[in-house]
Amino acid sequence: MTRRSLLAGSVGLAAGAVTAAPFLLPKYDRVRRPARSRAAIVRADEYSERLEGALMSALRLFDLNIAGKSVLLKPNLVDFVPGVAVNTHPVLVTAAAECFRRLGARSVTVAEGPGHQRDTQLVLYESGFRDELAKQHIPFVDLNRDELVKIKLCANYTGLGHLFLPRTVLSHDFVVSMPKVKTHHWSGVTLSMKNMFGVVPGTKYGWPKNILHWSGIQQSILDVCATVPIHFVIADGIVAMEGNGPLAGTSRPLHSIVLSDDPVAADATCARLMGFKPERIPYIYEAVKFLGNASTKSIDQLAGQVTAPDIPFKVVPEFEHLRASQSPSCLGT
Amino acid sequence: MIDAALLEEIKQTLIKQELPGGGWSYGSSTSQAALEPTCLALLALRWDSSPARALGLEFLLRMQNPNGSWPAFSGDDSEGSGLTALAVIALINNGEMARQTERGVEWLLRLKGKESHWLWRWKFETTDTHVRFDPNKFGWPWQPGTCSWVIPTALSIIALKQGFVCCKPEQVSFRIRRGTEMLLDRVCPGGGWNAGNGVVYGIPLAPHLDATTIALLALGGEESNGAIASGLDWLERRAGTCSAPWSLAWAILALDAYGRPVEGLVDRLCALRDPALLADSATLAAAILAIDCLVEGNVFKVIA
Repeated sequence: MTRRSLLAGSVGLAAGAVTAAPFLLPKYDRVRRPARSRAAIVRADEYSERLEGALMSALRLFDLNIAGKSVLLKPNLVDFVPGVAVNTHPVLVTAAAECFRRLGARSVTVAEGPGHQRDTQLVLYESGFRDELAKQHIPFVDLNRDELVKIKLCANYTGLGHLFLPRTVLSHDFVVSMPKVKTHHWSGVTLSMKNMFGVVPGTKYGWPKNILHWSGIQQSILDVCATVPIHFVIADGIVAMEGNGPLAGTSRPLHSIVLSDDPVAADATCARLMGFKPERIPYIYEAVKFLGNASTKSIDQLAGQVTAPDIPFKVVPEFEHLRASQSPSCLGT
Repeated sequence: MIDAALLEEIKQTLIKQELPGGGWSYGSSTSQAALEPTCLALLALRWDSSPARALGLEFLLRMQNPNGSWPAFSGDDSEGSGLTALAVIALINNGEMARQTERGVEWLLRLKGKESHWLWRWKFETTDTHVRFDPNKFGWPWQPGTCSWVIPTALSIIALKQGFVCCKPEQVSFRIRRGTEMLLDRVCPGGGWNAGNGVVYGIPLAPHLDATTIALLALGGEESNGAIASGLDWLERRAGTCSAPWSLAWAILALDAYGRPVEGLVDRLCALRDPALLADSATLAAAILAIDCLVEGNVFKVIA
């Protein structure tokens, strides 16, 4: 090797390193993954007044420090389709609100920015939320019409750099994601992390929040959840949805409420209950690196058992590979 | 019969909700002015001689971005909002046909749904076909760099039709034509419009009230066709069971624009004692426009 070729090689290597650096750098600012996570599965067959007692017992297992905190419950309230389990059930949301009040919360607020339907009040009326919330004097904030603050994203999977986010979400001490357990025709599943698309305001980003689709749904989930911490998850899987979700799927009773102090663990648990392999869901695969735990070895199961169904949830053809019964060779097809 | 006292009362409420520096926020919990409530309030107060209207207009003109668009709210980035059309409509109906209105129109003419680009059109025609739509028929997006959606497209068509009543330059005619084709292409199989497409993965989507109403308003003056007729029929049936003030107000405006009877719906809107109606400036302004349309005229009515 001559000195000239060594020099040329070094210059080439340096140029390559400079070019490749952005792709090799981590896409998140810091690792937030806890050493261990906790999850519980509560069996429930119907939406009734009895939910509150079951939920309270399960919440006590987590020994949460809620006293004096402002709690924000973020249900999935995307649209109203008569006869289809599209939204988190209002009875579960009000039961959760009452539980957090009993645990000493300073305030409990329900907030959502529907991603599809612009008339949030109409969704509240027709889904039964309005009456349920009024009965228990629980305030509701339409995140699509809230005051907005420009926030630098704490991860960079989308390249968006920043988002405008509602002050109501940013100012609460304890954010609880309350998704409906559903399949999704663009992202495979919609669970506690995808549910946070609802905090991205339509006023700025439209209905639906199309910029998140163009930036990549899986990537957007990671950026949003890295930036807006989810402190707890209560997922409505009592009646879930399979097939062409999130709006046009069919109801699938799962008889389960999934609770977790880690959204990645919650989503991995829900995915297993749906008969999916969590590691085949791109955002969960990536979130394990910095946001939370998906392996059963890292999740302490406080109540209930994670049992895959005999027949996995139906999905649109693009997501057949998520089903645990599919061989890994189907991955990416 | 319109309850004039009630109308005056809610107009005064709207005036009181104006922010000290001009403009309106959505709700009383924030002092951040937003484009939509500001424009709707200015339309609702267009015959009002109070200083509130003048202050609001001044604020709206001050809010304009250097590129001619309007931001969605105070403090927004300057790339422009898909609701810029609403600012143009507000200025036109307040007699502000100034250079700033023209610049807003020029920006609207430059803004296109991303599917209008040949590369994306090719993608939607060949590989990405789960959503049933013709990408050759494009309109306006909510945000630059995204696809066309029904509401920004419909508002932009209304702005262009109201801005160019008689002599339409070719580019204006072309965009109105393309936008109209897009709306007709994306109609839901059972009539009416959803946020964007009518069919996804072979499943028909249910129409939305406000998307349907604004689409119908944009199609005002067009030759009668099946999409308009089925949309109106659906809207008439759906509005009869709607108790949410925002959607009800828009339903009144659309049905009135097509000469359908709205007196019963106006009575129902007036009778609503919903705190959500009074707390949200955009909803309150829309309600005033709906109640007032029988007396002062329908501000969103357009001719071809």
